[in-house]
Amino acid sequence: MLLAIQNLSKKYNKEKFGLKDYSLTIENGILGLLGPNGAGKSTLMKIIATISQPTSGTLTLDGHDIVKDPNYIRKILGYLPQDFGVYANLNAYEFLEYIAAMKGVGGVNLRKRIEMLLEGVNLTEAAKLPIGTYSGGMKQRIGIAQVLLNDPKVLIFDEPTVGLDPEERVRFRNLISDLAQDCIIILSSHIVSDIETIADEVAIMKSGELITKGTQATVINAVDGKVFETVLDNDLVNDFKTKHLVVNSMRQKDKMRLRYISNKPTDGSTVCTASLEDAYLFLTKNNG
Amino acid sequence: MNYYKSIIKADYLQRTRSYAFLITLAISLYIAYTFVPPSDAAYSTVQIGNFRGENNSAWIGYVSAIMTSTFLSLIGFFLVTGGIKKDIDTEVGMIIATTKISNFKYLLSKMLSNFLVLLTIAGIVFVMSIALLFVRGKGYPFEITQFILPYLLTTLPAIFFISSLAVMAEVFLGRWPVLQYLGFFIFFNVIAANVMNGTGSATKMAIDPFGVKVVTMGMEDFVQKHYDAKASLVSVGFNFSENRAIKTFLFNGSTWPSVFIISRLIWIGFSLILIFISAKFFHRFDIKEKIRKKKKNNLLENIPAGILLHDIKLSLLPSITANYAVKPFIKTELLMLFRKGPKWFWLVNLGGMIALIFTPLTIAHQVLLPILWFLQVSRWSDLATKEKTNRIHYFTYASYQPVKRLLPSQIIAGIILAVALASPLMIRYLISGDLMHVLYIFTGAVFIVSFAVCLGILSGGKKLFEILFFLVTYINLNLIPFGDYFGGLNSGIGYTGLMAAIISILLTISFALRKWEISHL
Repeated sequence: MLLAIQNLSKKYNKEKFGLKDYSLTIENGILGLLGPNGAGKSTLMKIIATISQPTSGTLTLDGHDIVKDPNYIRKILGYLPQDFGVYANLNAYEFLEYIAAMKGVGGVNLRKRIEMLLEGVNLTEAAKLPIGTYSGGMKQRIGIAQVLLNDPKVLIFDEPTVGLDPEERVRFRNLISDLAQDCIIILSSHIVSDIETIADEVAIMKSGELITKGTQATVINAVDGKVFETVLDNDLVNDFKTKHLVVNSMRQKDKMRLRYISNKPTDGSTVCTASLEDAYLFLTKNNG
Repeated sequence: MNYYKSIIKADYLQRTRSYAFLITLAISLYIAYTFVPPSDAAYSTVQIGNFRGENNSAWIGYVSAIMTSTFLSLIGFFLVTGGIKKDIDTEVGMIIATTKISNFKYLLSKMLSNFLVLLTIAGIVFVMSIALLFVRGKGYPFEITQFILPYLLTTLPAIFFISSLAVMAEVFLGRWPVLQYLGFFIFFNVIAANVMNGTGSATKMAIDPFGVKVVTMGMEDFVQKHYDAKASLVSVGFNFSENRAIKTFLFNGSTWPSVFIISRLIWIGFSLILIFISAKFFHRFDIKEKIRKKKKNNLLENIPAGILLHDIKLSLLPSITANYAVKPFIKTELLMLFRKGPKWFWLVNLGGMIALIFTPLTIAHQVLLPILWFLQVSRWSDLATKEKTNRIHYFTYASYQPVKRLLPSQIIAGIILAVALASPLMIRYLISGDLMHVLYIFTGAVFIVSFAVCLGILSGGKKLFEILFFLVTYINLNLIPFGDYFGGLNSGIGYTGLMAAIISILLTISFALRKWEISHL
């Protein structure tokens, strides 16, 4: 499968762009979307999920124009929005049956599939309680279950690990990896480590524009040999921060261990192995 | 004091920036335009015997003030109620609960923002009434006090009281909006029937919260003294009379008895007392706790956490097939309609259905049916907007053919509920061979659901439909043919054709707007 985005723009008003001349091709596998708040990640995902229309540009799936024919992708779409809700009066079974009807799936196995999905997200025992009584994490797990109701071929996860504890996040990442065999998966997250461990490719966005896209190694290459660590007295830290891009700081008694990106390291600094987070911070802070 | 003002300001801005408010304002302006009919109009709004006033400053000022007082009290309650619920839904309430603002001050700020919302409408209607003098005044001089005094002494205390009543209703009946509506409906009708109409007395003048009685008593007194000793108030409202032999008289305003002015101050004080009492019972957004206490057996805490997310293997899940039928949608929509509101309320519905069997046919059709349908107002009002309010629209809008499948299912489910409730009456007509009345009721069911869906999508909320449905029901209970949507008073092919045309327009707008909405999140 090939999802092709060509010169896509979303303009909210004369000056404000959600997306600006955005081009990208996505093939089977996991694409991690990274970007600060307001970068346009959710806008891009909403357009691909067909609930928002671009102002200009084209969006095709295997050559089909999905802006003109959104139902083409809707049949094979699994979408987990960032801030979704539930019908509080329905229980988990009823809610998933309703979502299945929306997706246009059914058949004799539907009930069994729902049961297995509920078991997978550990909601079997709570399945008959109104969803209105669920915690935030339980609702998030219902959201994950609904994504898998149809056999989705294009999966969009917008901040999917919100509300999940660290162990659940690991299991969720395993699930995504499993799904990625013959699907296109687009995953956005603020947590770089979520993307780092599973994404085949990474796209970094800022202010509605694509800054870079490539494999993790390619993206990290931008800061390779530029990441250093140094230990400074506390009173020197503020001055240091004005001169260098500090990506991490750790308190150590009266001193501070700083991780920073620079073309010229300061005296006493040690070179570090660059990570995706370093590259992300470098690219988003240094571009525009 | 600043944060106190901020709550009022934020609340006021949030409400007045809604489509529901703007549309209500537009409708209010249109209705205000009809408060003072031209001399050749086929209706009157205030009539004393066979007399009505010349359209001078006093008549226009007084009539528009009491009409605004009545009309704004009637719809204002529906417009402003829900302020606390909004804070619950948006979870702003939780932040408020942690601040030092007292319950009384919070509720008072809600009341004052309610008042400001209604005052905005009253203010615009006030300006419109002055404009009416120049349109319909035939050269009578403009006297500003004849406008200011009646608005100040009747309309303002009335909307102050309504603002307070809406807050109190939310505190005590917050979980059951339909009971708030029903309670207000009964209250308003009791006041309208026993205080605003009928013979006047100082007591009635004082206990009339809307300040209508003092004005109509003054008018009656004036006509009886100068023109006709037997003339009495016909009604306050839209009176479509066949008798066009109406004479006019020159009304120069009436005096404001001190007992009336004191009573207004008492009403304002009483409104504040209602807020004070409500503050003692206000939940301060600690709602979940209350629900949990009732549902001990269902506590989620009783379920062991275990591993929260297992490894799911997609390849091991049973295969599913394509199914684009709308039946599952209709089933779930009906389920949600059925579960909305307290369970015991179905006993009221059941009682209404039984009453449709045993009461005389005319009463069943003209009175019971519109009441029974109105009781479902909160079930229908968010029929097509609940996706957005519950943030499900990300799923529904991205689903397969949502306009062709989901929206029709919601409409069908709404109609099934309306028809089911009206079924005893429809069966009675069917047994008597009166198929036309069965058709009228069915058309009424389709209309009211289409109306709810259209106004919901148009305004993005449920408020507008709730206000207008209440207004339409009130008109129907006063047996005014204009508002008859279910064939209680009207009949014939022309009527059915008109209803079909209106329904077609409502549905066309609904589908077109929803289609646009789906791709413009």
